[in-house]
Amino acid sequence: MTYPSVYPTGATVYLPERCWSGYTIFQARELGALLIDMNGREVRLWKGFHGFPNRLFPGGYVLGHSGERNNKYGMQDYRDLIQVDWEGNIVWKFNEYEYIEDPGEEPQWMARVHHDYQREGNPVGYYVPGMIPKTDGGNTLMLGHKKITCKEISDKPLLDDTIYEVTWDGDLVWEWVCSEHFEELGFREDAKNILSRDPNMRPAGGGMGDWMHLNSMSTLGPNKWYDAGDNRFHPDNIITDGRETNIIFIISKETGQVVWKVGPNYDETPEQIALGWIIGQHHAHMIPRGLPGEGNILVFDNGGWAGYGAPNPGSPTGAKNALRDYSRVLEFDPVTLKIIWQYTPAEAGFVHPTDSNRFYSPFISSAQRLPNGNTLIAEGGGGRIIEVTADHQLVWEYISPYWGKQFKMNLVYRAYRVPYEWVPQLDQPQETAIPAIDVTTFRVPGAAPSGAEAEVRVEGTIPCQPSTALCVVSDTDGTD
Amino acid sequence: MAITIYSATGCIRCKIVMQFLNESGLTFQEHDSLGEGREAFRAFYKSNRQKICRGPDGVEFPIFCDGGIILQGLPMVVAHLIAGSALEGFFKHGLLHGQWVDGIHVSGGDPAHGEKFLDVLILLKKQMLKLQIDTNGVNAHLLEQVIKRGLADRVIMEVKGPLELYDSLLQQLNDPEEIKRSIALVSQCNDYYFYSTISPIIREKGDLEQFSYITPEEIAEAAHLIKEATGDNKQPYRLRNFDPRAAEDKRLKEAEALTKNELFKYRTMARKHQFKTEILKI
Repeated sequence: MTYPSVYPTGATVYLPERCWSGYTIFQARELGALLIDMNGREVRLWKGFHGFPNRLFPGGYVLGHSGERNNKYGMQDYRDLIQVDWEGNIVWKFNEYEYIEDPGEEPQWMARVHHDYQREGNPVGYYVPGMIPKTDGGNTLMLGHKKITCKEISDKPLLDDTIYEVTWDGDLVWEWVCSEHFEELGFREDAKNILSRDPNMRPAGGGMGDWMHLNSMSTLGPNKWYDAGDNRFHPDNIITDGRETNIIFIISKETGQVVWKVGPNYDETPEQIALGWIIGQHHAHMIPRGLPGEGNILVFDNGGWAGYGAPNPGSPTGAKNALRDYSRVLEFDPVTLKIIWQYTPAEAGFVHPTDSNRFYSPFISSAQRLPNGNTLIAEGGGGRIIEVTADHQLVWEYISPYWGKQFKMNLVYRAYRVPYEWVPQLDQPQETAIPAIDVTTFRVPGAAPSGAEAEVRVEGTIPCQPSTALCVVSDTDGTD
Repeated sequence: MAITIYSATGCIRCKIVMQFLNESGLTFQEHDSLGEGREAFRAFYKSNRQKICRGPDGVEFPIFCDGGIILQGLPMVVAHLIAGSALEGFFKHGLLHGQWVDGIHVSGGDPAHGEKFLDVLILLKKQMLKLQIDTNGVNAHLLEQVIKRGLADRVIMEVKGPLELYDSLLQQLNDPEEIKRSIALVSQCNDYYFYSTISPIIREKGDLEQFSYITPEEIAEAAHLIKEATGDNKQPYRLRNFDPRAAEDKRLKEAEALTKNELFKYRTMARKHQFKTEILKI
């Protein structure tokens, strides 16, 4: 988050021998669905095609949306989910979830889809060996919105989250409504109290409480837990997470009930305390079978501000009462909650906590496990996409050069790496290594080179201490 | 016969009934079932429990007994006091409390006694109560009077199905134009919605009677009927799942209820003609 006013964009690091190379697709802010290669070459742009998120499927098919509902009346309601081919022709579309009549707008059907969707054949929508998302049929699961009233939660109008499933022909065949499971989510009384009074009110539609804010949704797929007899992890079950409530949970596809969860509280068992308070998280999913870490939960734990609970100095009312100014990517065992792998400011090489906010996106972001054990991470707020190895080496970095005109950030909601063979329309690109630049000597044109032109010694000075005692405690205190 | 009223402490509806009895010069004995009349009510309930409904919120008061007839709830008691048995079918046990009164079925009784039916509604309205009126399309003329005289605060119409199934679903001959007229009338109200129950239908094939659920295509036709009668495809239309346990026709009690997921196909089909169709939560 500590950005200078000038810094490079595009690909900045690429170590081909350690990367799982392929194309990367993401929504370039206010531009469209952008496909880049490992050198940051923009090999295809589906201009104006929205993506919340965009995904690329085998054959060069891209999924996204034609547009968003007027923000005066809806919040993050995308009108439809569309699959287009390489040329941008629509080959599949769904929008008939709710008929919307907004003042001054053309009445229309809308999918009200947001944040996530999954196509049959692949549980998570990214590359998994042997799990190919269907492109000419199959059902699609979508995260949706519904405006409701639910006195058990709050007396204010609520923007509720739903998950629904549609067939290739557009028939809705399954639906799950979040508010109907409020009591299963484990809120304490202090949380229920502030949630009731302030369910994260947003101004759209005259004001409505985006109380849960689900932001990811995927199926579990085949996994070792279910094979061992744990029915909570039935392959058809769905994992989702609520950004505003700090909850990651799995619902039974059959009954709709919450069968597994972490959060909203992380202080009730030693295992939860060891896991640490997950805050405002994104893209929680189970690593699919066939990828390193299969069966574990991978999540971008944003930090920032989220949750409902007791007031504290950072949250006088108890709204968004969990705070942290850095992010973590966690891979943890869903049964023991033990952290198996993580990428936090410490693994990124930053001094904690004094420099921790250099790995920090308080909103959006994603994490994808790659077949060689690397992890593709979108540190979304700063438009930064990185690939890191299991031993935490940064082997690829890309900074989006696309700042929005409406929303003046270069944010990247999510990024997905796909294998070259999923884009048969292109020859495999040339891969040119980009070694990391030594920023201590790198200068922009007109700037003086590094090094003092003249040097004098001051008598009586001694070398710096090996342990740097600062005004604040850091993890260098007491080290030699 | 001597009239007994079983009331509940603080029950406004009980007071309305007792005030009506007093104004009509009828004598009665009151037992406050939560107060001094607790034991009397307990004994009465014990020997008449099969005639007394318990809703989700408990027993509804007042309960009227004249030694022969036992009636429960304000509308039924008042209807009986005004017109005896002539208004049978117009009033049933309600579920709503506070200022709302339900269980009023404009299609359920003999329209020849329509004026008496309207008298009951007028009396209830004078007590500042809000009336929820149910109809299935039958007795459109009476429905028109209810609406015209401002006696309906909310109207709920069950569209039993497409017109060609109406006779079989209601087990009586019906005038299709009357059903359409009711739909049009309901759509003129401020507070209303239409619904259909996804229920099994007894279909006659030759001499055989067969049960099968109303089909998604038939529900689409019902949605189209609403569109035809109102000229609008954005009417509030809801689909309700059939509960075999509550079936009035004993033959249907053995039917298997549809799952929630099975209802989505009906909603999809209905939405072809009524865009705002939703599934009613029970």
